[in-house]
Amino acid sequence: MGKMALEYIVIIFLVISIIISFGIGANDETMAPLYGSRILNMKQILILAAIFAIGGALLLGEGVSKSVGDKILLLDYEATGINQNAVVMTILISTALVLILSSAFGLPISSTHATIGGIIGLGMLLGGGGGVNWSTILEMSIWWLASPIVGYTVTYSVVKILNKRKLKFLKGFKDFERSENKYSYIILIIICITAFSRAGNDCSNAVGIVIGAGDGINLTLLLIITGLGLAAGIMVLGRIVIKSLGKMTELRPSTAFAVQVPTAAVMLIGTIQKIPLSGSHLLVASLVGLSKASNTPMKKGLWKIIAIWLLTFPIAAILSIIIYFPINLLI
Amino acid sequence: MKLLKEKKNELDEVNKEFLAETLNGSALLHEALSTFVDDKLKIESLEGVIKVEKRCDGLKEKYVQVLYKDKRALPFLVEDRYNILMMIDTVNDKMEFFSRFLRIYPFKLYKEIKDEFRNLYRACSLAVEMLVDCATLIETDFDGAYKKTFEIEEKKREARTAKFNLLGKVYKMNDNPTKVYLTSKLVTYMYDIVSWAEETSDYLRGLIIKYPSK
Repeated sequence: MGKMALEYIVIIFLVISIIISFGIGANDETMAPLYGSRILNMKQILILAAIFAIGGALLLGEGVSKSVGDKILLLDYEATGINQNAVVMTILISTALVLILSSAFGLPISSTHATIGGIIGLGMLLGGGGGVNWSTILEMSIWWLASPIVGYTVTYSVVKILNKRKLKFLKGFKDFERSENKYSYIILIIICITAFSRAGNDCSNAVGIVIGAGDGINLTLLLIITGLGLAAGIMVLGRIVIKSLGKMTELRPSTAFAVQVPTAAVMLIGTIQKIPLSGSHLLVASLVGLSKASNTPMKKGLWKIIAIWLLTFPIAAILSIIIYFPINLLI
Repeated sequence: MKLLKEKKNELDEVNKEFLAETLNGSALLHEALSTFVDDKLKIESLEGVIKVEKRCDGLKEKYVQVLYKDKRALPFLVEDRYNILMMIDTVNDKMEFFSRFLRIYPFKLYKEIKDEFRNLYRACSLAVEMLVDCATLIETDFDGAYKKTFEIEEKKREARTAKFNLLGKVYKMNDNPTKVYLTSKLVTYMYDIVSWAEETSDYLRGLIIKYPSK
């Protein structure tokens, strides 16, 4: 490969990594509780989200991963001559496109589901039924089902406990205001930490492909570009997701706390235990749990979200099959 | 955050002033009605009610200006407090409307309905006073405010009984139809004040339930 060709490929990979980071940012619902509970307004949220997206990507994004789909795809690249870079890129681009598409409709989906959907599509295209590790998929699917149940149950219980506490100690608006103010500081800190770590985590996916494309790439600059991509995604389309999720049910700082803290805690446990839980699913289920526990109605749109969750797999699979061929030709 | 606190304090101050003015308006109306029943209507008291309403409008404007002077997210509870203020302002509007009507009412009150009329305006004054109490109590004592909402409901029932007793008597009067018509309007407009006060107290009760205390 000539020098020009390598530079050309790096530029293409860079553009694609920006698209991927944009897609991930577009479907980032981390800030939704802040919007729903009106701790900050949308402008403030977007500024904060952009700062943490860039900061998180720059400071925590060095744990670069290039192993997208290693456990699920059963393809022998050397024996079959399949271009691994094209496979990885296809999966990432199809994930990004699905994320961008669903964000445009304000629907939060799991990026893991979108990725797995893409992997299944490609695995079946390139290796038939044996191209996909179905036992791993089955194992994961148990957790996909468990995520919303866990989110719902934990938040429901936390809200009930919090309400009982309020009954005892909060005697009027003033008490309520003081209590809610405290919660708003706590939730602000928790969400900022979540946004920061999530940006670091998410940018790995976007950066990985560029790192794999060639040596001598300025990683710091790359991380900044990815962070900017994440921030742009949040600002352009992420606001729709934040708005639709934040307004799903009535939120106050204390109830946002009841939604966010269990979500973050369960996600942390899941990460430590290497259980692939979906943050989006946990958050939506937590909002439903909150709605039930506090007898507040859910806004319309829940069924649309559930439908898109189910459709994420086939859409991502079909999309990855469609875009694999041009990408394979390009690389 | 300091700015947010200042803004909240400013809103609190305006709110307190607004409630005090409402109470003042109710007292002036009570005074005007007691003189009206004795056929010595004190016009200054009615003028006072009208002035109070104007001052309340000014305070309401001030409240809105403080609320929107910067584009921050609404602090917690501000929206509910704003709604309470708007609903109580409607009580002021209704008292002002009634005062204007009474000022141009060209007759003396029928002797036969004076006692019942007293019952109605007492219920009216008490309901407004209780409403202001309730709006103050909700800040520090949900239980007290909750009980108060039922007392306001009781006053509304009393006022309703008085209203229909009055209308029953007025409609049977064999007198100048204009006087009969305008007297019935007088009764109805006064009842509207109590009725709205009760509607506002219902809203307050809803808030108390919403911020779980009950």
